[in-house]
Amino acid sequence: MTKVVEVKDLTKRFGNTVALDEVSFNLEPNTIYGLLGRNGAGKTTLMSIITAQAFASSGKVQVFGEEPYENAGVLRRMCFMRDNQVYPDSSKPVHAFRIARLCFPNWNQALAERLVADFRLPVATPIKKLSRGQLSAVGAIIGLAARAEVTFFDEPYLGFDAAAREIFYDRLLEDYAEHPRTIVLSSHLIDEIANILERVIVLDNGRVILNDATDDLRDRAVVIRGDNTKVAAFTAGRAVIHRQALGALSAVTVLGHLTHQDRAALTANDLDVSPVTLQQLVVRATQAAAGTAADQGAAR
Amino acid sequence: MTRVVTVMRLQFVNRRTYVGMPLVILSGAFLLAILILLLVPTDELKFAGGAVAAPLWYFSVVGWQALALTFPFSQAMSTTRRDFHLGTLLTAATTAGILATFYLVISLIEAATGGWGMNGYFTIPGLSGSQLPVAALSYFVVACLLFLFGYTCAAIAKRWGGVVLTSVLTGLSIVLALAIILVIRSGSWGTVVTWFVTQGLLGTTLWGLLLAVLMAYGSYLMIRRVEH
Repeated sequence: MTKVVEVKDLTKRFGNTVALDEVSFNLEPNTIYGLLGRNGAGKTTLMSIITAQAFASSGKVQVFGEEPYENAGVLRRMCFMRDNQVYPDSSKPVHAFRIARLCFPNWNQALAERLVADFRLPVATPIKKLSRGQLSAVGAIIGLAARAEVTFFDEPYLGFDAAAREIFYDRLLEDYAEHPRTIVLSSHLIDEIANILERVIVLDNGRVILNDATDDLRDRAVVIRGDNTKVAAFTAGRAVIHRQALGALSAVTVLGHLTHQDRAALTANDLDVSPVTLQQLVVRATQAAAGTAADQGAAR
Repeated sequence: MTRVVTVMRLQFVNRRTYVGMPLVILSGAFLLAILILLLVPTDELKFAGGAVAAPLWYFSVVGWQALALTFPFSQAMSTTRRDFHLGTLLTAATTAGILATFYLVISLIEAATGGWGMNGYFTIPGLSGSQLPVAALSYFVVACLLFLFGYTCAAIAKRWGGVVLTSVLTGLSIVLALAIILVIRSGSWGTVVTWFVTQGLLGTTLWGLLLAVLMAYGSYLMIRRVEH
């Protein structure tokens, strides 16, 4: 299997806190990844270490088969735009784009200009004076127009209105179709980006708890709804990741594929079955992981 | 090399910070000093004193900003720390060079006109011939040193945090104060003064240059490990 990024047993400690705990995964070429997880799950730290802006306590990262640290040849093929990106003191967006054009070999000026128009970004206004959404637009434009082989976006849509978010997703997909590359979107708005993600990596408490193709994940869990006792009977012995009760009715999320017999049993018992959304699955998975961790803690 | 030049262009996005402001301060201080010197009714030697150093202090602020505000952007632009460091120091040296050139021109005029015909000096008075470029060189070195001071402070703050920076600065002040007390107590001012006199302006400037090189290397070691 070819891979552009290889992360192996990566651990990062800040004092007593373990931000990343033996994280391992690969990023393949020409794929859009979602790096998902709650606040403080370690997403930004992970992206910082891959781009050599921060250092691992142990473990290793290879990008294009090489160490990225102080490796100009590797670094310039990557782009990492932060949500809280800091710009030079008196700079304007037009300055930032001019520098980006010099730094990224695949930079496309026409795309940058089109995005400026789409986002209605005032390019001659000092960056300090831009609104939160406009500030995010500067980062989004650099990240897209750089056409870096590996691009990381950390919460790219902060402050974007609905129209700007749609523009971002549309342009990203359009450009990706013509110029495939590896794009990692770190995000909280999971359902909104679910359609454009090909693979999902979920971090929780510094660990990778899911790393799968988005389509596989969608089939991975279902919600069973109906009469309490019937639902309980059906879900007995299955991996339940969430339970919700409302009077005589309950909704239970279970992991695993449903067989034909399962489907027949559901129909016979008058039980409803619906797929879980990616967002629900991620939320349930992180809750389940927290539960397991608490159980282990109690057992100790 | 192109990558280092790119960092210089990145730093010079702040043209106002690097070139505009120091020149405004220098010319402001110059005009104000000359005006005041004109108003002093004496034919004896008049020296504007610290006015000439005004833009130099500003350089430590520029040094701080070069790291605190521009380093994060250079990281987003996927430049290496080495290229950032070299490009930034070259930018500082260029700017210090521009300032030193202005200093040199003013000092040449003052030497030629006997202090604007009124024995009043903005630059160090009483120098002539080859001493003038040497004085401009020390102006350059002091500008570089102050830039590096601000830059190194920012590097310490980014690398280890504000508390460590404050401790280092406090520690440095204490050591300096103790050294001065020690010199006074042992009555060795004479020796210190003699040393500087023996070194001369050029010698002292070269020692300053050595200190600048050490600071440049030290800050590089910190920047290599700054996390972001």
